[in-house]
Amino acid sequence: MSQWFLRGIKKGIKTEKNFKDKYKPYYPSKLEGKSDYNCPVNAIKNGEWDENKCIYCGKCDLNPTKDEKIYKINDAMPEMFKKSFYIYPLDSGTCGACNAEFNSIFYPQYDANRFKIFLSNTPRHADALLLMGVYTENMHDVIKNAYDAMPDPKVIIGFGSCALTGGIIGSSINEKFNVEIAGCPPSPYTIISAILKYKGDIK
Amino acid sequence: MNIIYYLPLILIFLASIISIKYRSSGYILSAISSIIFIVFTYKTFDYLTYFYLIAGIVWIITSIYSLSYGKNYGKWLAPLFILTIAGMMTILYANNFFVFIAGWEIMSVPAYLTVAINKKNDIEAYVFMFFSEISTILIIVSAILSYYYTGSLTFNKINNDYVLLIFTLGAMSKMGLTPFMISEWLPIAHGSAPANSSAIFSATMTLMGVYGITKLALLSPVSEIIGVLFMAIGIISVMFGALYAYISENMKSLGGFSTIENNGTLLSAIGLYVAINNNILRTFVLISILIFAMAHSIAKTGLFLTIGNTGTEYFSGVSENNGILNQVGKFFILSSLSGLFPGLGGLGTWMILESFFMGAFLQGTIGISSIIGGSLLAMGEGFATAAMFKVYYFTDNRNNKKNKNSLETYTIFSTGALLVFLFLISFLLIGKEYISGIPNVLIFNGFMIESRFSSVDFGLLSPLYIAFIILIFTLLAYIIFGKPKTRSVKRWNTGIENNEIYNSFIYSSNIRLMLKKILKTHSGKNELETVDVFWYFMIRTASSYRKLTKYISYKIMNSSISTYMIYMIIAFISIIVIVSLY
Amino acid sequence: MQSFNKKNGRYIGRYKNYDAYLNKIVKLSGENEGDINEKLPGEMVFNYGPSAGGLEESVNFKIITPGEKINSVRVDSSFKRRNIKILNNNIYDALLKIERINGYHSASNSICFLLAVENALNIENNESNNKRVIEIELERIRSNLHIVKGLTESAGFSVPEKQLSYLIEEVSRIISEAFKHRYFFGANYINNVRCNFNNLNENILKIKKEFLSIYEDLLASKIFMDRLQENGTVKDINSTGPAARASGYNYDARLDSRSLFYESYKIFTMNSGDVFSRFMVRSDEIFSSIELIENIKVKENINKDYDLNKSGSGNARIESPQGDLFYHLDIKDGKINDIIMVSPSYINIKLFEKAMRGNIFTDFFFVWESFGIWISEKEVNFI
Repeated sequence: MSQWFLRGIKKGIKTEKNFKDKYKPYYPSKLEGKSDYNCPVNAIKNGEWDENKCIYCGKCDLNPTKDEKIYKINDAMPEMFKKSFYIYPLDSGTCGACNAEFNSIFYPQYDANRFKIFLSNTPRHADALLLMGVYTENMHDVIKNAYDAMPDPKVIIGFGSCALTGGIIGSSINEKFNVEIAGCPPSPYTIISAILKYKGDIK
Repeated sequence: MNIIYYLPLILIFLASIISIKYRSSGYILSAISSIIFIVFTYKTFDYLTYFYLIAGIVWIITSIYSLSYGKNYGKWLAPLFILTIAGMMTILYANNFFVFIAGWEIMSVPAYLTVAINKKNDIEAYVFMFFSEISTILIIVSAILSYYYTGSLTFNKINNDYVLLIFTLGAMSKMGLTPFMISEWLPIAHGSAPANSSAIFSATMTLMGVYGITKLALLSPVSEIIGVLFMAIGIISVMFGALYAYISENMKSLGGFSTIENNGTLLSAIGLYVAINNNILRTFVLISILIFAMAHSIAKTGLFLTIGNTGTEYFSGVSENNGILNQVGKFFILSSLSGLFPGLGGLGTWMILESFFMGAFLQGTIGISSIIGGSLLAMGEGFATAAMFKVYYFTDNRNNKKNKNSLETYTIFSTGALLVFLFLISFLLIGKEYISGIPNVLIFNGFMIESRFSSVDFGLLSPLYIAFIILIFTLLAYIIFGKPKTRSVKRWNTGIENNEIYNSFIYSSNIRLMLKKILKTHSGKNELETVDVFWYFMIRTASSYRKLTKYISYKIMNSSISTYMIYMIIAFISIIVIVSLY
Repeated sequence: MQSFNKKNGRYIGRYKNYDAYLNKIVKLSGENEGDINEKLPGEMVFNYGPSAGGLEESVNFKIITPGEKINSVRVDSSFKRRNIKILNNNIYDALLKIERINGYHSASNSICFLLAVENALNIENNESNNKRVIEIELERIRSNLHIVKGLTESAGFSVPEKQLSYLIEEVSRIISEAFKHRYFFGANYINNVRCNFNNLNENILKIKKEFLSIYEDLLASKIFMDRLQENGTVKDINSTGPAARASGYNYDARLDSRSLFYESYKIFTMNSGDVFSRFMVRSDEIFSSIELIENIKVKENINKDYDLNKSGSGNARIESPQGDLFYHLDIKDGKINDIIMVSPSYINIKLFEKAMRGNIFTDFFFVWESFGIWISEKEVNFI
């Protein structure tokens, strides 16, 4: 046991205090510029770019900026969540990338726990239901059950373009989301800054 | 000869005959004669007469219960049932071996018939008969031995303990204790009869064995070896009886196993009685045996009545939810069987365990065996509690509604209430030398039971005080916290509805898996099966026994009811002849 | 559509009602899922999933158990079945969807798909071969790290779990730096890869060093070994990927498929077929993948427009991190006419069910994690 303890000590702190710009991914990030590309998901309409619809394939002429702030906050966070925010992720029909990216916010580099963001193992203890993936028939009832099992107040977070708009794969879960985190899949930078913004920790 | 004294006996035989034609009248008469029996025989204060009281109470309860329950069975049930009681009454009247054996047979033969008629398959009846007849033979041997030593068939003081040993072996066969197929025949036989008969088989037929052993133990000298032997047999029976009761799926066989467990406790207590030489402790042990036997018999009756009320044999078949009266009665019956307060069983268990732990002070072999015995008995009681909880929980099907209160429900409730009542007045049942009080803490003189093996007391218990405390704290909790506030929310079973029902089999699977080595748990063709180790070792002998009994029954008995009837009539005539002789 | 009646070569897996073998596809005649274990009296069905804290994806387990022992497990993966409209799409639109069949193994899927397209339309792909190898091997490193992390997590080893998480994230960053996307989305084209391998070797060596020290410490831990050894043993001739190699079968598409060219590759096999063997095989493959990446030489990208409005049908099979990944395509005038995708998760789920039989609850997660099953790639319905 002690060998692991010493190992842990020896490695030092690996959590990054400020996000290193260097590692921010190009895709997905805020896109800039103009394009008349015939977007397969209709993310570009009349020159307007829709971050929720975009699947960040990089085929159009818009340029990635490495700016991770691609999210929308639709209402104020209930005051009681500010001290601790428990999230229950629910996979409706993902490709697996969203699941992996959401889990990665708890990896040492990001360590979301320090921002008082936690993972819940059951919706009954959760403050937020984080939905990802496209709508699938069989998961419809499961999502409903999970939402019903959550105590009030509760919020729903839409995660990734599949959940928000259906992306390129299918149709959206079609819920009203309190927080919309865009990206295909949303990078950990986006996820953390979205939740921090929702918590009011950053402007 | 005082004809009035024998009135109940005459009445019960009369009831048996009447019931062939008029079922209900027979049952009523049997209940009446049981009441008279209690009144007439309880005139002298002697600890042995407690057996009369116990048996009488059980007969009254079962007779009343049968008024409603017996409707579902054919016309033979009533006469056979009452004749069994008559046999037992004869045993209790007996003051010599001859009458005792005659009663023993009158008790047993109708029992085989009841089982044979109830089950399509004869094998249960044969098994029952086989083990009963072994007991009869052994008891006859002990009678001959007694005649050899004392020159008379009357129950007299004997100077050696062979009679006790042989008699006990015989009675043990009837009680289903360890060497006699601890778990196989008794539950099979008792489980194959209608519930009212199961109740008297389990509660009073085995009680007759205890009665006989106790009676002879009182007449026999102190013997350490026999005492320790009885203790060992008893404790093994307790452990396995409780274990198999816990994993039993057939409710009636659960009752049968529970009977083995209780009889094991009684036998080990008798063993302690035989082994020790301290008179104060001996008397205390004797009272413990009686109180425990009383609790066991009444509660066991209640258990079988509860099971009978479900209308099925297996836990899986339970389809109705019982009313509140039934559940309250059931609760007290089962808590008494678990050795918990405020049932009489709580007191009985406490007294038996106290006896064993006091035995530890005697040092030497007895000291060690009694402390080990006491701890194992306590462990067995733990298993029994789990088994009884199984009965409590799984004899109700909470998905369905029911049920109107019938006569059966009232009987069950009264049985439960009787156990609590007997617990509350138990200080009246115990000799003055063990009664005192501590007025300083509001336990007035005469309300406290003391266990002791010398002039100084060892343990204390006040039934009324316990009841009072329970009541006060319940009320206090209710007053302070009010009605329990519960909030029901939708459950979360990882996203989908759970259709799995927690059933009795799964309830006891933990022990099946944990005690794999003992129970020889394996995945059978159809389910997780356990093998009874005793059965496992004896299976070959048993199969040859079966062949033998089959051979005998085909050759001699010819397996026809008329042969049984002739046999019964002969036994019946012989008892009348004997009674008239005295 | 190819349809034959004889089996040929080893079994690759199943898509809808087609069984794929090394050299043939066999259409099934009304065969269903196979042995369904009915609950016996005395057993209960323990339901786990579709959505629970310990599960990364939505999948349901029906665990038939009399108590501690698990008599059988049924994996019901149908909860997140996605209907993906891909027929009659053009190649690049289809590719966007193929990338999202399994995000964690996106490179394998999109490359295999592209290889099948190139095979169908007779397009030379020499220039991008090695870049694709790098992609797949990077993906393999991350995927195997993810599984080793899962095993340490199941054992409750928080320190190596966090340190492996750290490595996973580092690999993701390497991928992000090289391919501009952490999951290779949008990085692959016909005979072309969007990439930049400037710091790749230097970074990947750091990973090797870090992982080696964790790996050695894990091997030195008796507790960890005890949990893995003789746990979840399964030996089945119809197995795939690391699970096959852990039970002594030298199945590897890097050796027996010509879709993607590997210059030199040495296969590592174990014989016992338990969780430990799978752990060893995967760990070894992390090192061998790193070695491959170190030694590989990439060619310059050539920017060339290919005429995709042609017809033809083609196959491709590559070794995805969890086993054989097979694509069969039928292209008509540049549109997808028919598609068969066989993912390793189908076989791995079968193996998992087999491995769990007779096991106990506490070993459940070790066995589940050791196969690296992704439900997303199994439950795809192309329409």
